[in-house]
Amino acid sequence: MRQRAIWSAVLVVSLALAGCGSASDSGKSTSSDGKLVVWDFKSGEAFAKSYLDTAKADFKKKHPDVTVEFVAQPFDQYYTLLGAAIQSGKGPDVMMFNGGGQIRDRVDALVPLTDYVAEDKQRLAGWDAFTKDGTIYGGPVTLQGYPIYYNKTVYEKAGLDPASPATTWDKLVADCAAVAKAGAKCFALGNKEGVGIQFWLSSLGSTTLTAQEYDAWIAGKRDWNSANVKRIFQLWKEAGDKKMNSDGANSTAMFNDSFAFFQSGKAAHVMGLMSDVGHWQDFNEFLTPEKLGVMKAPIVTAGTTPSLPYDGGIGYAVAKWTKDPKVAADLVRSLTSTEALNAFYSGAGAIVADTTIDVSQAGPAAATIVSELKSGKPALHVALSSKTIDLMGRLSQQLLSGSITVDEVVKQLAASDQAG
Amino acid sequence: MPIGNTRSSVRPASAGRAGGPGATPAAHRGGARPRRTGGDLRAERLAPYVLVAPAVLIIVLLRLYPLILGVNFSFTGDGAQNGTAVGFGNYRELFGDDLFRTALSNVGLLVVLLPVAVAIPGLLATFIYLRVPGHRFYRSVYFFPAVLSPVIVGAIFNLLLAFDGPLNAILGSFGVGPVDWLGDPDIAMFMVVGVHIWATFGMALVVFLAGFATLDAALLDAARVDGASLPQVIWHVIVPSLSRTIQFVFVTTMIGMLTSMFGLLFVMTNGGPEGSTYLPEYYIWIQQGQMNRPALASAASTILFVIMLVVGLLQIKLLERSGRED
Repeated sequence: MRQRAIWSAVLVVSLALAGCGSASDSGKSTSSDGKLVVWDFKSGEAFAKSYLDTAKADFKKKHPDVTVEFVAQPFDQYYTLLGAAIQSGKGPDVMMFNGGGQIRDRVDALVPLTDYVAEDKQRLAGWDAFTKDGTIYGGPVTLQGYPIYYNKTVYEKAGLDPASPATTWDKLVADCAAVAKAGAKCFALGNKEGVGIQFWLSSLGSTTLTAQEYDAWIAGKRDWNSANVKRIFQLWKEAGDKKMNSDGANSTAMFNDSFAFFQSGKAAHVMGLMSDVGHWQDFNEFLTPEKLGVMKAPIVTAGTTPSLPYDGGIGYAVAKWTKDPKVAADLVRSLTSTEALNAFYSGAGAIVADTTIDVSQAGPAAATIVSELKSGKPALHVALSSKTIDLMGRLSQQLLSGSITVDEVVKQLAASDQAG
Repeated sequence: MPIGNTRSSVRPASAGRAGGPGATPAAHRGGARPRRTGGDLRAERLAPYVLVAPAVLIIVLLRLYPLILGVNFSFTGDGAQNGTAVGFGNYRELFGDDLFRTALSNVGLLVVLLPVAVAIPGLLATFIYLRVPGHRFYRSVYFFPAVLSPVIVGAIFNLLLAFDGPLNAILGSFGVGPVDWLGDPDIAMFMVVGVHIWATFGMALVVFLAGFATLDAALLDAARVDGASLPQVIWHVIVPSLSRTIQFVFVTTMIGMLTSMFGLLFVMTNGGPEGSTYLPEYYIWIQQGQMNRPALASAASTILFVIMLVVGLLQIKLLERSGRED
């Protein structure tokens, strides 16, 4: 027994000292010549066919001898599978990414695309979410933003004018008192996954932080002790304390329980998305396009101008181990061509990265969103690391349950933000 | 070792056998088969190794090697430090992480709740054995949840325990205010464990019923004749007779709780609220899949492995000791 203990101690110590090998290795390509493998979490969906066909046709013109294979992965497991592929250094040549933390955390495994996509820089929007330290690692397909939607039917019931939603926070609180009298909640909130606070931070960011604070935040110089940053979390707590949110927010899934709550007219507002899910097209299932409004963020700090927070939503990146990065980058360009993105927009109802596409068919809410893209800014939460976002999710739940103070929240977030 | 003794006692002539493995070939050479070539002999010597080789290779290549690799990874860094040795850095980070500590303390909670998880199927099996009215019906109904996947069970209880769900509606009709079953950090973990017990106790129940099949009915009759009450019968007759079954259920239930709660956690709480329902498995999955920290996840896996090893060894000790008592 003692000898066994000595041997295991020797093993542990030698492993600790050696520490050789690595948990994520980068190596060679798996694809044979003339074939590119693409991983994504969209190509399995019905709408994606016309998008992929258009993109493939475009790519075929440039590289007729290269075949492309799309492998649809389940989204729940996507980054786990991708992580395993990155670790083994074998996997797809081109892969889909969510913009922001998900791609920035993995740039070690990606090819810089800055030079390959130079021609597309003007035509497409949303590059920031696929950029780290000035280098572009992915081409944006959709734009993901965080508009505040409101239900005009609920407004009418509460005796409010659906054409002029509140422009200041105080007015919004007053409106919500009227909404509460009409038997509805102010916000449909699902914070089970801790995502609610992300939308809250980004939706109210432009009207709470000053323009300088906002730009500094995006640039990575975040002052967590600023009164305005604290204000965002205070408002979150206040909305919870005043029962403005739907009940049981911490156990309600945002996707799609909170959106269902909004659609069914039980809440007047929801901070939603503009692509993929929880957006104008989704809501049309129960709300007609005429009854769905999009409002600018209500002004919290005097002197601020509301702007739509948005970033690149999903996009494609090229793996380091691909044989010919130029060919793979061309595939990324085909996947983000105007024709392909037009097919994506009409199929999925997403706001795509190519802002030259006409969306007037999609109803007033979509038109409003697209018109605000020009003045839009990157969303605040997308600039944070996945670790800080995860922590923020848990802290936001504590704020709602009243077991933490706003000061403690910003302190912990500041520490996490500086560490990572 | 009663079997070995019996065998040697009925075959006293083969003295070579008792002399241990080294003596066996010599006995053969001098006795039954004298004309054997050297090649045959070597083949015979090698045969056991060849026969065992596939099993050993599978264990070494698919179990031990990955295990050592994983432990090795846990001493390397993530991201920019990928592949460089960081010593015990990952372990220091783990024990500095509130979330990981919560995950470990939840393992402790599971151990504390273990007697409840064993007592419920034990008690229900007792009632079935004692033929309460409708016992046939209950026997099949109790087993039913065990065939459901954790995801389905989680989805069902998500609906039942929702803030505006049926359970709160029933409470409301009694004038009790709604409880956020899965949204309150003090309650959520108990709800998940409760649902896990509900979903899995059918298996333990079947084991208990099998144990009852070996129970001597004469003891029960004797106790009844002596005028023992039901609690007395359970405590003084049933529990001592079933001690081995109870220990077996303890072991399997503990393993089940430590290794198969992931599906329920994923569906019911996502580790929340406030990270209160994290378990090491879930933590490993988050670090590896969501945070892109494979080396840190390896370190957490190593700790989970050590915990399982300790629990497993303790349980083996326990079973061995009770085996000796028999």
